[in-house]
Amino acid sequence: MKRLVLTIFVLSTLFVTAGFAQNLTVGFTVSKTGALNVDSLEQYRGFELWRDQVNAAGGIKAGGKNYKIQFVSYDDESNTKRVQQLYSRMVLQDNADFLFSPYSSSLTATAAIVTEQYGKIMLTTGAAEGKTYTLGNHYLFQMFTPGAEYLKGTLDALKAKDPKATIALVYEDASFSVAVVNPAKAYAQQLGLNVVFTEAYAPNTTDFSAIIDKVIASKAAVLLGGGHYADGSTLAKQLYEHKVPLKMITLLVAPDSDKWTELGDSAVGVMVPSQWEPQTAFKAQYGLSGADFAKAYTAKYNAPPSYESAGGYACGLVLQRAIEQAGGPDTAKVAAALNATDITTFYGRTKFSTAANEHGLQIGHAMVLAQWQKDKSGLVKQVVWPLAAKSANLVYPIH
Amino acid sequence: MILRHPVLYIILAFAAIMVWLPLHGNNVSLREDLILVAIAVILASNLNLMIGYTGYVNFGHIVFYGLGGYIGLYLAAEKGWNLVLAALLAGVGVSLFALVLGLGILRLRGAYFALATIGILVAVQSFVANFDPWGRSTGLYVSFDAYEKLGGARHALWVTYFLVIAVMALSMILSLGIKMSKFGLGLFAIREDEGAAVVLGVNTTVYKAIIYSVSAFLPAVAGALMFYKNGMIDPSIAFEFMLSLEGIVMLMLGGKGTVIGAALGGGLYEKLRSYLLTSPKLSNFHLVIAGGLLLVVVLFAPGGLIGWLYKAVPRSRKVLE
Repeated sequence: MKRLVLTIFVLSTLFVTAGFAQNLTVGFTVSKTGALNVDSLEQYRGFELWRDQVNAAGGIKAGGKNYKIQFVSYDDESNTKRVQQLYSRMVLQDNADFLFSPYSSSLTATAAIVTEQYGKIMLTTGAAEGKTYTLGNHYLFQMFTPGAEYLKGTLDALKAKDPKATIALVYEDASFSVAVVNPAKAYAQQLGLNVVFTEAYAPNTTDFSAIIDKVIASKAAVLLGGGHYADGSTLAKQLYEHKVPLKMITLLVAPDSDKWTELGDSAVGVMVPSQWEPQTAFKAQYGLSGADFAKAYTAKYNAPPSYESAGGYACGLVLQRAIEQAGGPDTAKVAAALNATDITTFYGRTKFSTAANEHGLQIGHAMVLAQWQKDKSGLVKQVVWPLAAKSANLVYPIH
Repeated sequence: MILRHPVLYIILAFAAIMVWLPLHGNNVSLREDLILVAIAVILASNLNLMIGYTGYVNFGHIVFYGLGGYIGLYLAAEKGWNLVLAALLAGVGVSLFALVLGLGILRLRGAYFALATIGILVAVQSFVANFDPWGRSTGLYVSFDAYEKLGGARHALWVTYFLVIAVMALSMILSLGIKMSKFGLGLFAIREDEGAAVVLGVNTTVYKAIIYSVSAFLPAVAGALMFYKNGMIDPSIAFEFMLSLEGIVMLMLGGKGTVIGAALGGGLYEKLRSYLLTSPKLSNFHLVIAGGLLLVVVLFAPGGLIGWLYKAVPRSRKVLE
């Protein structure tokens, strides 16, 4: 009799546990090939670390059940042509419960048409262009601070340090950098700063001599712009080689990479607007601390996390909290929880706009400004703005 | 008579199957796969008019698809035009552009012509990237509300699918019609020996300009439909050089100069790439495998699949154009 009772107990425990352990499928595409490969891979690592940590802790606990996370993902070849095919497949064939965005604004905009069509929630990261959110969506939620905010920190810092400085805007003629620079130009005028030179260069430009001559002729003291890694790093090198007397240089995206140190002296003093840096010690109300994230990431991938990786991890964290608050994976309830989200994690504050004309736009997260500075150990990236989050003082002028 | 030709009925049956397959069981995922197949068939078939029929290698064929996409999206999404009307106007506009352009550049031959087509692609891309009404390098986006006119996003994607299938069928019928016409004979004469064609009385300049313009029409219509469906367009997506090269690969795979070969090459190439991309075991090597297979075809079946079929079953030559 005792044995029978024990057997029934063990079996029922197994049954109950099995009943509670459910899987949630999260779908996304990764640019395993093509131009976006490096940044997309860093974003993917953020997703992956989040999944592994959640599953190691027994899954997401919501409504008395445990949900383990499984991924379904495909290579989008850094190309919008494939994105709708693959997102439709993930929704319809792979039965994805939730979606994360591809890397980059244009791929995300294309995926959004499909996710909206099927009423699937898509958390977007690595996609700063704000236009997609103004087109009447209901299920998009943006983790990155929109492009229009990227250079505001630099301009605020410049206004505080040297309001009479003259500015040159030199940027890649591509959708992301244009979406960043145009609002920055308007903001500079609003602050009373003087933009004396503006020029866009073709993507993949390798010789900046002509533009640099024009910058010198304009007598600009500050240069803002760039685009992605290849052009940004070449521009920085050539500015240094031409000995352009600039007091401040801020470039998009490129200086965030740890490869930036390979530029040697031309890397010194260059600043980058960043969605997140390991030094930004936000007091996390939910999830792990920034230091723990950086430690776990470095241990797993043997490289420091970039802000793309942090955005990827935070994407998972915000979804996890929304599922917990909704008591399960029901789309409408999770969407409502995301709409009500106002939380600070290691990544900073996250709050989504609920206005009909810009639903899902990120309105809570603030960017920081990081600067490459020399110390005893060599080149180090320091947070210099906003002052409340700084890890070192802004070096101005750099030459 | 084209109406008596068996290939016409093969084309119609193929289009009917393409419509029926996803409709049966409302298989949206299959529809998304097949729309890419249809686009590949459209691009390959129309490129075939230049490369296969006339012997002129056009590396910049994708410029028609991208320009059509821009004109169509601008009219349908920004100006609120009816999608079909916007797509047709995109086709007419791009064809006229190609006609004017063709009268100039088609005086060039061989490698010089091929280089000029690359130049046109780069020039058009640069122009569009600096053209304010088309959003410069940021491009154009379709508002989610814009799909309401076609009964909401779900319905709109079906409508664009059927329209793309119609354009695909028309592309193949056009290829067949031209191949069977006196005009087509003139094009083949140009392909074989342009000097001899001139002596025989073929007005080669006009013939080439017309076929260049005709080969632009349906890809432009398809571009308008496809980018409307995708919801956005920007210069780097619209004028992707790689897609131009893929068009040439599709032709080599299927067999250039034949109606069925171009369509077969386009369809098979796209299916192969899709399969490799989503296969759990092969996805990490998809580019290597696709490249290897193409190498095998070029080495062992230089006439493409149709060329191989003609050799293996000589009687098929009488049926399959």
